[in-house]
Amino acid sequence: MSTQATVHQTKWWSGGKSPFNLEYGKLMMWYFLMSDAFTFGAFLISYGSIRFSQNYWPNPNVVFDSAPGIHGGAPLFFVSIMTFILIVSSVTMVLAVHEGHKGNRQGVIKWLAWTIVGGLAFLSCQAWEWHHLITGEHAVLVNGQVELWGQNMSHNPWGPVVEGVTYHGHHVTTPGPVAFGGYFFGITGFHGFHVFSGVIINIIMLVMAQKGVFDRRGHYLMIEKAGLYWHFVDLVWVFVFLCFYLI
Amino acid sequence: MSDAMSVHPEVVTTHDVHHDEHHVHHHKETFITKYVFSQDHKTIGKQFLITGIIWAIIGGLFSVLFRLQLGYPDQHFQILETVFGKWAEGGQIKPEFYYALVTMHGTVLVFFVLTAGLSGTFANILIPLQLGARDMASPFLNMLSYWFFFLASVIMLSSLFISTGPAASGWTVYPPLSALGQASEGSKLGMDMWLVSMAMFIVSSLLGGLNYISTILNMRTKGMSMTRMPLTIWAMFFTAVLGVLSFPVLLSGAILLLFDRNLGTSFYLSDIVVNGQILPNEGGSAILFQHLFWFLGHPEVYIILLPAMGMVSEILSVNSRKPIFGYMAMLGSLFAICILAFLVWAHHMFVTGLNPLLGSIFVLLTLLIAVPSAIKVFNWLTTLWRGNIRFTPATLFAIGFVSLFISGGLTGIFLGNSTIDIHLHDTMFVVAHFHIVMGVASFFGMLAGVYHWFPKMFGRYLNSTLGYIHFWVTIIGAYLIFWPMHYQGLAGMPRRYLDKSSWVSFTQFGELDKMITVVSIIVFAVQLMFVFNFFYSIFKGRKVTTQNPWGANTLEWTTPIRPGHGNWEGEIPEVHRWPYDYGKDGREFIPQTEPIGENESKH
Amino acid sequence: MQHPAFEEVTVHHHQTDDKSFKKKIIKTTVILSIITIVELGLGLLMYALDLPDDLRRLMLKGVIIILSLAKAYFIVSIFMHLGDEIRNMILTIVIPLLLFIWFILAFIIDGNSYKNLRNKYDKHFQERTMEKKDVKELLKKPGGKE
Repeated sequence: MSTQATVHQTKWWSGGKSPFNLEYGKLMMWYFLMSDAFTFGAFLISYGSIRFSQNYWPNPNVVFDSAPGIHGGAPLFFVSIMTFILIVSSVTMVLAVHEGHKGNRQGVIKWLAWTIVGGLAFLSCQAWEWHHLITGEHAVLVNGQVELWGQNMSHNPWGPVVEGVTYHGHHVTTPGPVAFGGYFFGITGFHGFHVFSGVIINIIMLVMAQKGVFDRRGHYLMIEKAGLYWHFVDLVWVFVFLCFYLI
Repeated sequence: MSDAMSVHPEVVTTHDVHHDEHHVHHHKETFITKYVFSQDHKTIGKQFLITGIIWAIIGGLFSVLFRLQLGYPDQHFQILETVFGKWAEGGQIKPEFYYALVTMHGTVLVFFVLTAGLSGTFANILIPLQLGARDMASPFLNMLSYWFFFLASVIMLSSLFISTGPAASGWTVYPPLSALGQASEGSKLGMDMWLVSMAMFIVSSLLGGLNYISTILNMRTKGMSMTRMPLTIWAMFFTAVLGVLSFPVLLSGAILLLFDRNLGTSFYLSDIVVNGQILPNEGGSAILFQHLFWFLGHPEVYIILLPAMGMVSEILSVNSRKPIFGYMAMLGSLFAICILAFLVWAHHMFVTGLNPLLGSIFVLLTLLIAVPSAIKVFNWLTTLWRGNIRFTPATLFAIGFVSLFISGGLTGIFLGNSTIDIHLHDTMFVVAHFHIVMGVASFFGMLAGVYHWFPKMFGRYLNSTLGYIHFWVTIIGAYLIFWPMHYQGLAGMPRRYLDKSSWVSFTQFGELDKMITVVSIIVFAVQLMFVFNFFYSIFKGRKVTTQNPWGANTLEWTTPIRPGHGNWEGEIPEVHRWPYDYGKDGREFIPQTEPIGENESKH
Repeated sequence: MQHPAFEEVTVHHHQTDDKSFKKKIIKTTVILSIITIVELGLGLLMYALDLPDDLRRLMLKGVIIILSLAKAYFIVSIFMHLGDEIRNMILTIVIPLLLFIWFILAFIIDGNSYKNLRNKYDKHFQERTMEKKDVKELLKKPGGKE
């Protein structure tokens, strides 16, 4: 292949060209994502550090065991749906970028629209999950009395179960580590904020594509950069999913 | 890269050089687009520099004022009450306000002056000029970078004027003090403003850093391979990498601290009683914040130091009319410092109860930094060795940098050992160490840069006589101020204490403290003289008449004396050699643009 | 397709074969889905077996982490097309990520050491946070937080 040959013969570092054969915008997007990876990394690593400094940590299978219409008994069911929504929206984004390469405006619009739908679906799921956790009522033994707690920033009802005590047929627990809620809402919130901004970016891209801005420019590079950002959001979710739901 | 140009009267605009987003459009530049919302990297650099100078005056003034109190603890100074009002009733600084002053002095100098004012200025001015680029990769984001810094500055400055005063928990803002508004006045609104301002600052630094990295990678002119770049550019490159990878960690730490302050979370708080009131927070770890802070904080000191190192290398080589000694070794040690910078953060935390095993690894990694640092010092000295040195003010400041870097670096070896650090931690020894090696040394690098590139920035020279006075007073003063602090620290005198009268053993330092205060006032006055020199010379300085006043090889001296936006009027010159061909084959200097001659010897 | 606007790029090679591309994407999607299902299975298995905090649980967690890293690899390499870039570009992304090794290790070791310190010197902390408490004691002593 001729392109292959050029790739090998080019003196990439001699100046006057990009050593990575990438235009600067994409390069900046990549390094921005690196930087953002360190923001998320710092959050997740702090979470790990606090978790390792505690004797007890709530079991995700107990905390996340509900879905709309299912009250308990379905551990990790809802979050798997969320994960698949995000994976699928990543695939539609790949297809949008691919149509962009071919310069096919209608294809770009179609797949971008699906990606936006996926993003919104994910955000709705997250809204439901947050609402469910905050408004939930769990019997917690506080100072010798049973109180009904939801999961929020300063209260955690998922402590160790008090053996032999029930409250209206439910387990009674002691208060769990407070940091759990802070990190859960903080990190999924920060991720949700990224999804949200990704959706906004994609909507802008959709409008620009619709108006033919990219056709006039002769390339769909902006879609590629938006795509990188969107995949990064998916990538972060892999680790949020890992740290909060799986282990 | 298209080199089609159009020449306006006064302004040179590029024809859509590499910006796919906007097309060719000529518009007459107004005052606003030329000096305020300018996208020209040179103007943005000057904006960073002038904002940095204003901050340096504020931050420096704070230190002089609290030094006044430290030197003369019993006296009442009317000026303190005039300046600070209720914070210094009767002319004596209140203890809480002393914290606020120390905090602001540190924050302002470290972030706003020596990060934004130093790498913001010189990365912006030098990267495109020395690489042979018309501008940064993205001039628009570059402009945003300055304006985010400006926003951060406005927020921080306004925090000085609120009724509860600015943040007052040290520039490291350790919780729990910084997290609890009820703990001190300075932990109220001022602390929130500190955090928001810092978030804006991080955005600014990120936008700048991404631009510097992609410009250095993508925008080099033909022939400018990576190993033909001046060491300044390499230093700016590693600085940007450090910033892009470590500032986000501080952002995370700051966001969590904001949550702890305002949303009742317990990331950093546990088992706390304030004024007899038991707080509900539990399960957090205050040490976690220190880890997050220093994961940025340590790279930050290299973000401050590396640009100074790069500029000093360049200035020493140009002015001793000799090639830089060991270019590849310089480059390798910059790289090594950049990597080690990320691995040693917890050496600031030896006395927190850090796991001792972990601590010993941090000691080992910390002491490793001595190796690349020593290589650099050796190479600077050998560059000067038997050189035909021109003692311009820039050269003197560069030599001063080397001197300070040696003196301050050696005390770093003391502090890097966890066992010695138990004695020295949080004493004046630490203050002496980091002020010399990071504060004053970087300042010297920055001043060297200003004196050296002022002709390029403004087309005029700074006044040299004032420059010599500036240098000699500053270097002697800096040593007089900070050297004795080592002795205070060894004797155990703690830092950040306003009143040490309850220790009889420290009364022996009374006269010493007076001396330090007097010298610091003199040094501050001389800096004001420099500021006068700076602004006076912009308008009235001696005009530059030749393109290349220092006889330097690098590309910025091939541009017109006052380059417009786009830097070169014709085509961008091509580069044929490395930037350090000084005193070669009987010629004083050979610019990078000159092709290699047939019989030329190898360097 | 021509990209006339940016000269930094030397070689334009975007003539991806439509069919093989779609095939690659479908393959990656299937792999990602399968890995996710396996991860979920292992997570639930850990719950169902009610494994104590011992080596077996740790190993299961290790497997899940490795699977997640594999997922990350596929997303970055295929979806973000990093695998198609020049080798040096890949290295500039991968090498800085190595910093995470020490970042994670140091933070977690210190977190763990903080726990041990407190269990040793702060018996109240230990009592309050350990699992399997004596219920009667809890019920008898209201206000376990003096």
